[in-house]
Formats: sequence, structure tokens, C-alpha cells
Amino acid sequence: MRLRIAAASVGVLALAACSQGSATDPGASEDGKTVVRYMNFSANDGHEKDLDAIVAAFEKANTDIDVRVETLPFADYFTTLQTAVAGDTAPDAFELNYENFVTYAKNGSLAELSGVDTSVYGKSLVDAYATDGKQYGLPESFSNVVLFYNKTLFDQAGVAVPTADWTWADEQAAAERLTNKGAGVWGDYQPITYNEFYKALAQAGGEFLSEDGKSATFDSPEGLKAANWLIGKNGTTMPTEADGAGTPDFDSKLFSDGKLAMWHTGIWMFDALADVPFEWDVVVEPGDTTKASAMFVNGLAVSSASENAEAAQKWITFLSSSDTTTDVRLDTSWELPPVADDSKLAAYLDQPKPANRESVFDALENPVLPPVIERQQEMQDAVTKELGEAAAGRKPVAQALKDAQAAVNGLLE
Amino acid sequence: MTLVATKSPVTSPPPIRRAKPRRSWKHYGWVLFFLLPSAVPLVLFTIVPMISSIWVSLHEWNLISPMRWVGFDNYVSLLTDPQTGKVFLHTLLYVAGYLPLVYAGGLGLALALNRKLPARAFLRATYFLPVVTSWVVVALVWKWLLNPAGGLVNQILGFFGLGQPGWWTDPDWALVSVILASAWKDLGFVMVILLAGLQAIPRDLHEAAIVDGASGWQRFWRVTLPLLTPSTFFVVVISLINGFQVFDQVYVMTGGGPGGASQVVVGQIYDLTFRYGRAGEASALSWLLFVVILAVTVIQIRGQRRWVHYA
Amino acid sequence: MRKVALFSAVLVGAAIMLFPFLWTVITSITPEGSLAGGPTLFVEDPTLDAYRTLLDTVPMWRIMLNSFGIAVAATVLQLVTGAMAGYGFARLSFPGKNIVFAGYLATLMIPLQVLVVPLFIEMRTFQLNDTYFALLAPGIASAFGVFLLRQAVAAVPSELDEAATIDGASHLRIFTTIVLPLVRPTLATVAVFAFMSSWNGFLWPLVVIRSPEFMTLPLGLSTLQGQFTTEWDVVMAGSVLSIIPIAVVYLLAQRHIIAGIAHTGIK
Repeated sequence: MRLRIAAASVGVLALAACSQGSATDPGASEDGKTVVRYMNFSANDGHEKDLDAIVAAFEKANTDIDVRVETLPFADYFTTLQTAVAGDTAPDAFELNYENFVTYAKNGSLAELSGVDTSVYGKSLVDAYATDGKQYGLPESFSNVVLFYNKTLFDQAGVAVPTADWTWADEQAAAERLTNKGAGVWGDYQPITYNEFYKALAQAGGEFLSEDGKSATFDSPEGLKAANWLIGKNGTTMPTEADGAGTPDFDSKLFSDGKLAMWHTGIWMFDALADVPFEWDVVVEPGDTTKASAMFVNGLAVSSASENAEAAQKWITFLSSSDTTTDVRLDTSWELPPVADDSKLAAYLDQPKPANRESVFDALENPVLPPVIERQQEMQDAVTKELGEAAAGRKPVAQALKDAQAAVNGLLE
Repeated sequence: MTLVATKSPVTSPPPIRRAKPRRSWKHYGWVLFFLLPSAVPLVLFTIVPMISSIWVSLHEWNLISPMRWVGFDNYVSLLTDPQTGKVFLHTLLYVAGYLPLVYAGGLGLALALNRKLPARAFLRATYFLPVVTSWVVVALVWKWLLNPAGGLVNQILGFFGLGQPGWWTDPDWALVSVILASAWKDLGFVMVILLAGLQAIPRDLHEAAIVDGASGWQRFWRVTLPLLTPSTFFVVVISLINGFQVFDQVYVMTGGGPGGASQVVVGQIYDLTFRYGRAGEASALSWLLFVVILAVTVIQIRGQRRWVHYA
Repeated sequence: MRKVALFSAVLVGAAIMLFPFLWTVITSITPEGSLAGGPTLFVEDPTLDAYRTLLDTVPMWRIMLNSFGIAVAATVLQLVTGAMAGYGFARLSFPGKNIVFAGYLATLMIPLQVLVVPLFIEMRTFQLNDTYFALLAPGIASAFGVFLLRQAVAAVPSELDEAATIDGASHLRIFTTIVLPLVRPTLATVAVFAFMSSWNGFLWPLVVIRSPEFMTLPLGLSTLQGQFTTEWDVVMAGSVLSIIPIAVVYLLAQRHIIAGIAHTGIK
């Protein structure tokens, strides 16, 4: 008898174990509402409640739609998304950064968006998510890279602080004066990676890819200049890998400990530096022959396999351009909304730290989007690897550049 | 309770000249009864995906669009790509360095903790702790220890006037760094297995040897080690199977670098599947690895007759 | 004298082994602790803030319950299926036994990274993705446990079986009353590894689980790593909490692994 009860309860448990969770109920919608499943990474680690607020506002205005949010950390996001698309469990709407958008669009994973009012978005931003004249995504937020500097360190050393007119030469001179290895103070930190290289290349007036995008063109005098600019800092004005550079949060700790005079990083760090005990500010990154600032755009797309594409599009339109979203983003420093109307961004400029927030928008005047090819990740890895070899002194810079270009051309075939 | 092993468990006993009993249906019923509970899940949840992955290996697939048939192209391009040879070489070097270290260390620990030392249970737990600690922390600890510019290890080496390698920043030493960290972390695992094996050695054998005048060292070589061979066999087989598939520690400690100097086969498989959108090649590569691991394992199973004593 | 030297060596070794764990704990109680500065042994203002943040950010109790439930189920299932298979391979003969065993071992030779996508699609085909069952499925049986238990059962003298057979015992009776009690140390060992591998599993749960109510501990802890920065003290607090259950399981199992006082070794 006891065996039978045991067997029965095991059976019940087993059956219960086979029921699917809330995020996967096939098309199930309580109260007959349309369910839109939305997957994202940018709300992770601090903005989950902000996203919930936007969802609540959307559902209030659209009582027939129920938005179910899944938030994943960035590191795991694409593993999950790719597997979901492969297994036909893709969410109705999802977030994509610009680099991955191209791949997904080319592979037909995205639904074409119809009837989009492109005028509400910044032109360069909304164009980034269009292919062949058709809109496959909407820009969701953007951020860019500026030069952070520790005003207190500058004042103590008697060096003039960076201005918008600075060039690489000015930056280098200041960095050298501010580096004091004995005291563990460094002048200038800029990672030696693909992301910095294509931007430095643009600042030197070079081109990463040819016009038709079919070949790499960065092994040029400008490319050499850019590579040397990055690699020259290693060990002179910037700690080396052996000192810890490249380990997680090394640079942010260095800056917030007051041991770094200048730092190339993104505006997403504003929040993290709110409480540091010294004065700091930002300025548009100095260029060499021209100014160029790296811009990163996150976007939203609807899955081509979605059965609720219309509702999904309504959601992403709201998430990308509604006033609610704009206000929430600005209030909580959650990246910048991609709206064209500058007046809506006034609240952003009014926040106290850093003082020179205009530079964030000034930087938008000379934006550089990451060069994107089909085999994007391999290209980024190849370029970063060659730069790393040169930085460690295992290869001359010119050779590394040549090898990197050969590798990228190999990926473009 | 002393246990004496009486037959070789992994291979069939040599044919004995006696009338082979006619197996009844009942006998095969028992075979099914004992094996199906494990066989069915393994087939459904491991073997079926394995077979699917063979199918995938004959295609080009970036996961987000339908597969495209390419036949054996993936295998051909892998076998002609120098990168494949590189990652296999690194994996082989890893295994060759890791196994002796972890076995010797684990054996030493098992022998030491087999005696009546105070706080034995606490010590055994302590040595097992790294096995269950996440690689994120262990990797960071080892990177700190092996920091070329002032890490503890280099400071000690410098004190003795020995050379101070670049460890994980140096392509020639990156793999060594991973080997050291891995062997250290898994010592507890080997210790646990070998302790169980040591426990199984009958006390009377040691006592007989003492009576015969054998020294401690002689007893170790002539009694302990030979009777430990079944456990040793298990450790070697499993460590090799796992060692060839090393991934987490490389990913966290060196990311396969610097410059790809420590990239291993499964690291390459992971990159191909989830970062480069080449799942077909990844599957093909994993089947190449499978062949290698299978060959190594079969050789060991056949070879155990020579050195594994089951009684 | 030798014993003292040995003991000291073992103690030093233990200190080294404890070191990473200690660093984890210390970072978790350091205000805004970070792993960047290298390990420290002293904390100026120890605080439990990281643990509070952890409990606020991540639904720790729920995910620990999920992880624990799955790990216990996986352990029990692996013990049962593994012991039975171990007995089957060690005691029963049948044509093709070696090939079947090779098949079992072969399941250990393909990396998980390659199996997750096909397995996910397989689960999806049967509408079993995003379920507890899917989390458990790959852990129901393990060739590792089967291998270990086969070795252990083979070490049990078959004379004991024969004696019982004469008394009319069936295989099942022999298995449960004679063999199982004698392989208790190995069962405990398999239990520890089964629990550990289920508890720490990351890639498969990541891919097959989407609903927050099914989330497991490693997944929950990974959400603490931001895209640009990470609160290391909170991550370390999570690591500490996740090590404790396994350590407890190991301590409990250890008593069974080391059966009795050591018979070997010199005093």
C-alpha cells in the first residue's frame, strides 16, 4: 500500500515537473490578452525596476497586451538568444546591439517593421537599424565614449585640464607629466582592443573597410599611427597586462581610487563615479587629424517567427520613443534615449556630475559606429589579438597590423 | 569489513572451458531490469543529441537560420586548418602536465590523511573545498599568485635566484599556469577516490609485510601501490576523459590567450558555436575530439590487464 | 617526530587550500569589496551589506530551493540508476556487454557545449523546454557513477552472492541486501559528485530555462555581473552561499566514504 502511494506521488511530481514555466506558455494569454515576450540585457544589474515601470505604463495604455520581460546578463544573452532562435522559442521582441543586428537581419530572423515614424528618432540612429531601405529594428538607446579626467590630479600637478580643442599630442604630453609610477599614479588609460582601434583609426583619418565593404583597409599609415597611439601607452602612461590591466574592473577601480588622470571609457560609468572623493569631468576625446567618437547603439527588433508581431511592434515603439521611457532613462541615467527632439534631453544636461555633459552630445557630431561584417566576432577577436601581441612586444606593430588586415580579409571572403 | 576483489570488472573474464549455461529469458530480464534505468535516460538525453550533432557536423549552421548542407567540408577544413592542430597540441600538453601532478599530489594527500591524524575529517573537508569552489575565484587567486610583477610565486623564485616567468601573460607559460591551477583544484577529488581505494586494502596484507621485515617504502611499492591500481585506473581514465575536455579554467584564466597560446579544443568548440556562428564546424571538431578520447580510453581499458591488479 | 612533520605539512597545505575560500569570504564582507587589489586578510569595517544586497537583488531562497531540489533529485536518481547498472555490469554477463559499457563511457566523451543545442531542440519538440524535468533530464543517469559503482561492485566477493543464491535469493535481493551495503563508501562518493555537478551546472540551465520561477543558483548569481561593472562583494557573497550546501553534503557523505578507522599506513 505504501509503495502504491509512493509511486503515485512520484508520478504526480513527475507530471508537475513537466509543466512549462510562465515564460513559455505557448500563446497562453490570461483574460484573452495578447502576450508579447520581450528579452533584453540592458536592464540587468540595476534597471530591472525601471523597465518594469515602463512596462506598467505601456500596459496601462494598451490594456489588451501583456508584456512578459526576461532580463539576462549581457555575457549570457546571445548564447540564450541564439539557442532560442535555433529551437524556435525566440521571444516576440528582443534587444540587439548594433554589431549583432546586422547578422540577425541578414539571416532573416527579424520581422520587417511597417509604418514606422522615423522622424522621432535621431537620423543616424534609426538609419543604423534599416537595411535596403526597410526598417528591421528601432534604436533603443545609445551611449558613447568620452575622455574622463581627474581634475584634482591635474590641479595638483599644475597641468591644464583637457579641452575640446586637444589633440593626441596634447593628451600625450599631459599624460607623461601626470604619470608617477613611484606613487602608482598613471596618466592615461585606453584599452588596446578592437573597439578602441577603429575609433583611433577614424581619429587619424583612416578607414577600416573599403567603400564597398569587401576588403579591409586599416593597414595604412593612419592605421599605423592609431596602433602606435594605443600601444605606446602600454607601460609608459598606462599599466601593463602584468600590472593587472584587462582584469575586470581594474580600470574603474584605478580611476575611482584617484590613481588615474585620464580614462577613455563610456558614459555608462557616470553613475558608478557619483561618489568618488575627488573632482572629475569629461570632455570629447581628442582626435589626431579629426575628431571621432565611438558610438554604441542598442536596438529593438521583432522576431520574424513571432505570432504577435503587431503587438510586439507597438511595444518596441513605446519602449524606444515614448515620453515615459525618455523620462525614466534620464532620471536614472540608464543610457540615452534615441529621440531626435533635443528639448526632451534637457533634464540630462541639468544633472550635476559630470559638469560638462554637453560633451556627450558634442561627441555625437562626429560619431563612429563599429565596422560590422558577417563574421563580426571573429574579426574583433583577430584584431584584438594582433594588437595584444604588439602591445606585449612579441611582434612589431607594423607586422601586427599587416597580419590583422590579412586575417580580416580572410573573413570577408 | 575487508573486501577482496576477485575478478577483473571491466573486461570479460578469459574463456573458461565449461558448458555455457543456456541463458533463460529470465536472465535477460534481469539484465534489462538492472540496466534500463540508466540506459534509457542516457540514450534519450545524451546519445540522441550526440547523433544529432553528427548530423549538424555535416552542415553549416549559425543557429539563427536553417542549416545548410556541406557534407564533409567541415571535417576537411578542420583537418587542414593549422588552428586545429594547435588546439589539440595545447590540450595534449595540458593533459600531460595535469595528470601526473594531480595524481601524485592526490596520492600524497590520501596517504597522509589515511593515518590517524588529529582533525582528520576537518582536513579532508578542507582539501576538498577547492573542488567545489567556483573557477572564477580560483582563477583569480592563481592569477594573483602567478602575477609576473610581484606575485607570491615569482617573489619566492626571485628570492632563490631562479628565473621569474611571465606566467599567464607569457604565451610559453600560460598553459603551465592553467595546469598548476587545475591540478591544485582537483587534488581533493583524486584524494577522495584514492582514500576509498586505500581503505579497501586489507590490513592483514600490511601486517604480513611488516612481519616479513618490509620497510615503509617497500610496503608502499609492493603492497599499497599495486593494490591501489583499480582506483588509480579509474582516476587515470576519468582524468583523461575530463582533461581532454578542459574548458572552464582556460576560459576564466587566460581566455585561450595570450594570442591563442592556451586555447584548447573545447574552448575552440565553444567559440565556434556561440561566438562565431559556426556550429557545424564545432560539432565536427567535437567528433574529432571524441575519436581521440575514445582511442585513448580503449587503449587504457585493453592495457589494464598489464598493470591493474584486481586481487 | 615524523608524524609532527607530516601533520605540519598537511596543515600548511590545508591553509593553502582554504585560501581562495577565505578570500571569497573576506571580499564578501569588505565594504565595496573588489577583487582587483589582490587578496587581503584584514577587513577594516566588515559589513554584511553585500549579503543584504544579494538577497534584495536575487530571489536567493527560491533559486536555492530550485537548485537544491534538482540536485537532490539528480543525486538520488544517479545513485539508483548507477548502482543498478554497476551491479548489472559487474555481476551479469550478456553478449555485447563490453560494447554497451563502451557506449556508456562514450557519453562522457562529447563536451556539453556541443550537446546543449540539439538537446534543447529535442526538449522543445516534446514541449519540455522550460520545465523542471528538462533541468533534471541530463542528470538522471551518469556513466561516471556507473563506472565507479561497477568497480566497487566487482570488488565485492562473489562468494557472498553465491551463498545467498543457494538460499534462494534473487538478483534483486542480493543487490539490495548484500551488495549495496558493502559499496556504501562508493555510493557516498557518487552522491557527492552527482550533487556537485548538478548544483554547479550552468550552460544547460541557461539555455533550457527561461521562466524566473525555475531559475537555479548559478544562473541567479551570473545576473550579478553587469555589462560594464560588477559588484564583486555581492558576487562573492553569492559564491559563499553557494559553497555552503555542497560543503555540508560533502561533510555528511564523508562519514560514509571513510568507513571506519584506517587499516593501512604506519603509525
